Parts: sequence; C-alpha cells; structure tokens
Amino acid sequence: MDAIRAIVGVQLRIIRRDPWFLVIMFGMPLVIMPLFVDTIGLSLQAEGYGDASGAEQVVPGQVVMFGFMLAGSVGFSVYREHGWNTWDRLRASAAPAPSLLAGFAIPWILIHLLYQVTLLVTGALLVGLRLKGSIIAEFLVLLSYSCCLIAFVLLLTAVFRTINQVNAIVNLGAMVFGGLGGAFVPVDGLPKIAQYLSPFTPSFWAMEGHRAVFLEDGGIADVLPSVGVLLGATVVLAGLAVTRFRVDETKEFFG
Amino acid sequence: MASKRSNFNRRKSFDAVRAVVNDVRVLVARGLTKSYGDVQALRGADLDVAPGQITALLGRNGAGKTTMISIIAGLLQPDSGSVELGGIDVFSNLDAAAKLTGIAPQETGVYGVLTVRENLEFFANLAGVGRTERASAAAEVADQLGLTELLDRRAGKLSGGEQRRLHTGCALVHRPQLLMLDEPTVGADVATRAQLIESVRSMANEGAAVIYTTHYLNEVEALDADNVIIDAGQVLARGTREELVEEHRLSGLEFTLDAPLDAAEVERLGATNTEGNTYRTTDDRPIGALIADLGSQSEGLLGIESLRPDLETVFLAVTGDRLDEGAS
Repeated sequence: MDAIRAIVGVQLRIIRRDPWFLVIMFGMPLVIMPLFVDTIGLSLQAEGYGDASGAEQVVPGQVVMFGFMLAGSVGFSVYREHGWNTWDRLRASAAPAPSLLAGFAIPWILIHLLYQVTLLVTGALLVGLRLKGSIIAEFLVLLSYSCCLIAFVLLLTAVFRTINQVNAIVNLGAMVFGGLGGAFVPVDGLPKIAQYLSPFTPSFWAMEGHRAVFLEDGGIADVLPSVGVLLGATVVLAGLAVTRFRVDETKEFFG
Repeated sequence: MASKRSNFNRRKSFDAVRAVVNDVRVLVARGLTKSYGDVQALRGADLDVAPGQITALLGRNGAGKTTMISIIAGLLQPDSGSVELGGIDVFSNLDAAAKLTGIAPQETGVYGVLTVRENLEFFANLAGVGRTERASAAAEVADQLGLTELLDRRAGKLSGGEQRRLHTGCALVHRPQLLMLDEPTVGADVATRAQLIESVRSMANEGAAVIYTTHYLNEVEALDADNVIIDAGQVLARGTREELVEEHRLSGLEFTLDAPLDAAEVERLGATNTEGNTYRTTDDRPIGALIADLGSQSEGLLGIESLRPDLETVFLAVTGDRLDEGAS
C-alpha cells in the first residue's frame, strides 16, 4: 500500500510538471465540436429527438474518442520509467506487479475522469450541451469508462514490448472503436455489419450511457447496463494485465 | 624472512577478524546460477558480506557482476542458489529484504522533472521511511554527497556528475544495511568520484555492508575494499589486496613482437604466449637481460612491460586476462 501511495504521488507530480500534453488533448476536441453540432442535431431530430441540438451526440462522442487516446498515457508512463532507468529502482522496492500497476493506474483514472468532466462542462458552455438525466448516472458512466480504458491500456502494456506498438494500437483503437461505438455518428446510422460489432467496443457502452443521460433523461437504472459491462470488462482486462505483466521484462521507450 | 613472517601474522589476524565478522554476515549468497538462453552468466557463485565491509566485485564486462547484484537485490530470479539478507531469505521475503537493501544500478536513473529533494524523498518513501523522517533523510544524504545547494534544482538541470551523485543518493537515502553500487563512477568527473568514494566509506563506517562493482582498481585501493574476482560467472578469488597479492603474486615481463615466435624459441626464453604475439616471463629477469635473450628478435619488439605485484597483476594471474579499466 505504501508503494502504491508513493508511486501515485510521484506520478501526479510528474504529470503536473509537464501538463502540455493534457492541454493539447483538451484543446483538440473543442475545435472539432462546433463543426459537427448542427449536422448531428438535424440527424438526432430526424431520429425523433425533437429538441436535440446535436451537442448530446457530438460532445460525448469527442469525450469518448479523445478519452481513448488519453488513456494511452498510462502506458506511456510505464514505458517512460524504462526510458528514464527508474523502473528497476521501483522494482527494487519489492512492490508486487499489482501494486506497481495500481501506482500507475490510479493517477490516470483520476486524470481521465477529470478530463471527461472538463470536456463535458466546456461542451456545455461552448455548444450548449444540457444535462437532462441524473448527474450521478453520468458520473458512473464516466468513471466506468475511465477504469475500462486504463485497464485496457495496461493490458497492452503487459503484452507489447515497445511504446510505439502501444501508441499504434491506442490510436487505431480510438478511431475504430470510436467509429464502431457511435462516437462520430449514432450507431443506427452505421452499416449493418458495423452495428453487429458495436457492442464489442467500450465506446459503444459509454455512448449508450451518455445517450441515456443526455437524450433520454435517464437515471442510474438506465445506465446500469452500460456501467455493468464497462466495469465487468475492467475486471477482466485488469485481471489479464496483472496476470500477463512481467516486472522484469525490458520495455523500450522511444529510441 | 622478517617480511614474510609479518605478512603471515597479518594474514592470520585478518582471518581471525573475518571469522568473527562472518558470524554476523549481512549477506550470504550460495551457489548462484543464472543463464540467459545459452549464455551462463553465473555458475555457482558464492558471496558473503559482513557489516561495515566494503566488497569490490572485480570482473570484466560480462563476468556476471551485474547479474549477481541484481539477484541479491531481488531484481532477478536465479536458476538455482540462495540469498539470505540479515537472515531473511530474499526470494520468499522480498518485501522485508528490500527494506534492507539499496541499489544504484549501472545506468543513471533519476526523475529529471523532479527536484533533487523530491527524488530523494520519493525513494525514501518507497523504501518505507516515514513522512516525518523523509525530509531529514534527504537533507542528510544531500549533505553527504555535496548536493545541499542543489536540493531545489530539477534533476534534469544537473550536470552528469551531479546526477550520478543523486543516483547514488537515492540508493542510500533509507540507510540500507546492504548498499549495492554498480559501477557508480562510470562517466563521473574526478570530484564526483572522490565524493562517492568518501560516501561509501562513510556508509561502511556507519556499519553498512557495501558491494561495489568497478573497473577502476585505484578506486578499490582507495576504498580499502575486500576484493572478489569474478570471471565467466564464477568467483575465482577473494581477499584483501595484501592477501591476494601474497597468494597470486605475479611478477615478470610481458612483451609484444611484430611476428610470432616458434615454440622452441618460446621455450628457450622461458616464456608463455598470452595472446597473439604477446609473451610473458614470470622470473626475475631484468628487461636488459630479456632483450639480450631475444637476440635478433628484439628488433621486432613492439612493447615491453614490467608486471608488478599489484591488484592488476593479481587479476591477470587469476583470470589469465587483464581487467580493462577503460571499459564500462
């Protein structure tokens, strides 16, 4: 427990010292949101959501897609320790693999959650997103999505040897899962084959939760299927990550 | 005769001290083996270290030094063998054993974006030093390593030598019972070397056991260390400088020619071929006499060196090769 606390503390401090990546990750979706709101608004109105502005789809969609990219940072943090030659020093503390992984996961779950909340609030100010359903339900969707993605990237970290491999998977995943999961356009608007694949992506379940809260005045019960699937996936992915992770395996950072 | 007797008596007294000290050994490593694929890095190596003792692990690149200390630190699992730290089996009580050790690996590993103080306090925290004691532990180590003025500077802004000192400081900030430094002075300037050696001596004076790997024999002499010569994964010799020189005395001449000598000529000279066109005599022949013995062959003499009874020639005698001090 002491090791987890120490690593969480130092990781948060490192992130605070170099926040520019977060600033850029925050700025990009803000540029994209206004471009699509009106078009998506018409599409939602055609779906039967008469008072929809489009922000109900576009803002959560950007949160889901860029959230996927941001989650890659937890992998970056682990590989960076190898690049800085500090990984062996962490290992010398005898902290077991689950504690080391938790030390990296916890700060990024918190930051990821904060990132999503900040984007939603900024989306409300920028393109008029309005919360119709339960704020607690929305929080549960955000939290479960953060946990699921961080666990997914930790599994990638456990499997892949280089940061470049993880980056490639994360970037591809953000686009493919985002597209299939309905982050760009509602799933109903996707080709049939894509609609069959959608439920196998975390983005789909996150978008389902967001739609329940922002479009359908949903409460906690309405988001439980989404939250349940995302948390269930978190447990499976984290379990696989811990099982597969080898603390003595050399990882390659850039160069 | 008097000198031999005095050496004998000194050796007896060393043995007596060691017998007492060994009863309270911090580290007892036995029969360590480790392979990486087809490469056998360690082949049944033993190592004991007592409190207050500085042990220099001497060996060429690939001799097994880093593998050995990585196993002792619990960073690597041996294929066979055991390691006890303060009576604790390292591999079944990794957590407890880790609190007793401090390791500074070969590559400098500090957080460049954090200050010197933050680095030291983090590693103290990781090693279980309480919140109230961390600040003073960091200040104490900074003082010991001449980093006090730099406590609030980011590690990334330090010079290479200062980073090296901080790197070592992170290993000793929790005052471990066993400190392991893997080539701590590689790439360090003269002042940093002196500071690090002084810190190691000070830690040993405080009772810590120290394992120090290096290629630099002058450092070993400055540390007055107990020497362990390791080659091809095996411990070949161990002792103080005096003991090793006494036991593995090697004196004579080593000379290199521009062409090989035939076997009869080598035998006539009483030499042995060490490598290529390099030959060694181990009698007390002066250089002039050897040149005379070489006769016309001396025209092809490229170099000639007198072997003195020191750690370098001990290493040569034990391993059959030189310790390349330039290597890192």
